[in-house]
Amino acid sequence: MIEDDGYSLRLYVAGQTPRSIAAIANLKKICEQHLPGRYEIEIIDLMKDPALAMRHQIVAIPTLIRQLPEPLKRIIGDLSNTERVLVGLDIRPN
Amino acid sequence: MPRDAKPPLFEDADETVQAIHQGDIDAVVVMRGLEGPQVILLHGAEEPYRVLVERMSDGALTAGPDGVILYVNDRLCELTGYPSTRLVGRHLASLFAGEPPKLVPEVTAEASLFRNGDDTMPVAVWSRSISIGDTTATLVRLTDLSIHRRAEQIAAAERFARSVLEQATEAVVVLSPDGHITHASWRAEQLAEQPPVGRMFSEAFPLEAQNTTDAGMLARFSTESLDTMLATRPFHGVEVKLRGERNAGSAFLLSAGPLVDENKDNVGSIVTLTDMTERKRAEEQLTTMVAELNHRVKNILAIVQSVAAQTVRSSGSLENFADAFTGRLKALAIAHDILTHTRWIGIGLSELLTAVLAPYRSADGTRVSLAGPAILLPARTVVPLSMVLHEMATNAVKYGALSTRRGNIDISWRVSGFIDKSIELIWQERGGPELKAGAAAGFGTRLIDRVISHDLDGTTKVDFDPAGVRWTIAFPVGDPAAKRVAVPGSAMA
Repeated sequence: MIEDDGYSLRLYVAGQTPRSIAAIANLKKICEQHLPGRYEIEIIDLMKDPALAMRHQIVAIPTLIRQLPEPLKRIIGDLSNTERVLVGLDIRPN
Repeated sequence: MPRDAKPPLFEDADETVQAIHQGDIDAVVVMRGLEGPQVILLHGAEEPYRVLVERMSDGALTAGPDGVILYVNDRLCELTGYPSTRLVGRHLASLFAGEPPKLVPEVTAEASLFRNGDDTMPVAVWSRSISIGDTTATLVRLTDLSIHRRAEQIAAAERFARSVLEQATEAVVVLSPDGHITHASWRAEQLAEQPPVGRMFSEAFPLEAQNTTDAGMLARFSTESLDTMLATRPFHGVEVKLRGERNAGSAFLLSAGPLVDENKDNVGSIVTLTDMTERKRAEEQLTTMVAELNHRVKNILAIVQSVAAQTVRSSGSLENFADAFTGRLKALAIAHDILTHTRWIGIGLSELLTAVLAPYRSADGTRVSLAGPAILLPARTVVPLSMVLHEMATNAVKYGALSTRRGNIDISWRVSGFIDKSIELIWQERGGPELKAGAAAGFGTRLIDRVISHDLDGTTKVDFDPAGVRWTIAFPVGDPAAKRVAVPGSAMA
């Protein structure tokens, strides 16, 4: 189980597209560095089941959704800009 | 207003467009009527390859430079028993039990893949580095080796079973449930008149009961039902013979036991024909030997009894009895030693004379001389002849040539006949005290006469020549099996 101050993240990817793979690698790196031990990542491959895009109204891939802590937040792209990801996830104040 | 309170489409449109322009995304989801959402790839035409990878029979994955799994195909999900969501994001090494495989590009290694958590399966692991966009990744292919291993195990088990059969010294055959022979040991192939594999058991090995009890047992089964029974039920210890010239005179013990597979299902039976011929022969030999021993012990007791009775009658005093009886028992013991040493085969006449007369012969052999051809005495003649020679020697010591210092005995013999051989032996004493005709017909003389005629089936003649007594004894030494089996000493009673 995730801690109260933990992050529940869901990354939507499309098989092995370069951006999908880059997004997984970047997200893993950022979390290890900035949220060690208090994050949970779920990776959804929309190539296998496109219907899963409905839940979070995904239109662009890759897209990262922060499910917890609330409110829900969304970052589109391969997460190569670490600063933007940290800001988008509210991990560091502006 | 919270960001997720309304559909994000419009709010995020700018961000999406910007992301597309910047090349931050490479796929979009579009709605297609009833089909629902569909993913459209913006770059490359990787779809055919993706389908190939998804549908291939090997497991495949892509791992990032740090070993974290970025992608898995459906087959790898099947092999591991986990959905892709549980595999992506894990470290590659966590898929393997024990030491993870060393990933050397284009080199295949073997490893043990976790399956459903704790179970494992052998896999061949192949890898190669590729660049995906800006990232270096490793493609890994995992091939299930368990089918291959299973085939190897089956082949090894088959080789093992074959070598066991080949080494078996007994006739062992394997029957299918319908009674057909599927395997046969080397010995079984020798016993069968024709190559046994492929035939029904009853056809390859036509059985005949060894005795009446087992005959009834075998007769209860028709040929077909015997085949079926041997192939399906345990069956032990029926003595049988095999029809046909090849195994005439041989006896076998027939046994069958079930053959089960790994699921404990009966898949046939193992039938053994143990060759009992030697064992039965040994049993018969032992029975004969015990009977023979019993017979011989009774004979010895009869001899001892009659010698004792006769000695009592002819002894004037207890002292005389003791001397005579002891001497005769010693002669008997010497005869038995000879028989034991020669395993009841018999002994040469010259050797018998040497052994029995040893106490009376001088060191230079001048007092008792032996002359005659080599001739083997049958075992049955050894005891009576020893007794006779002992009596003659005792008489010579008491009254004849050996009662003086200068007397001597010349023993000579000749053999006549070819098949029905007989021996004529002359015992000539010289240099003893002068004899009076008829004076020496004591017990010893009577014993000699009766043993020769009754036990050796021969004749005796004694001449009381004044120069010295001369015995002429003749007896047959032909094939003892063809003769009446003598009870040595029976004439003495």
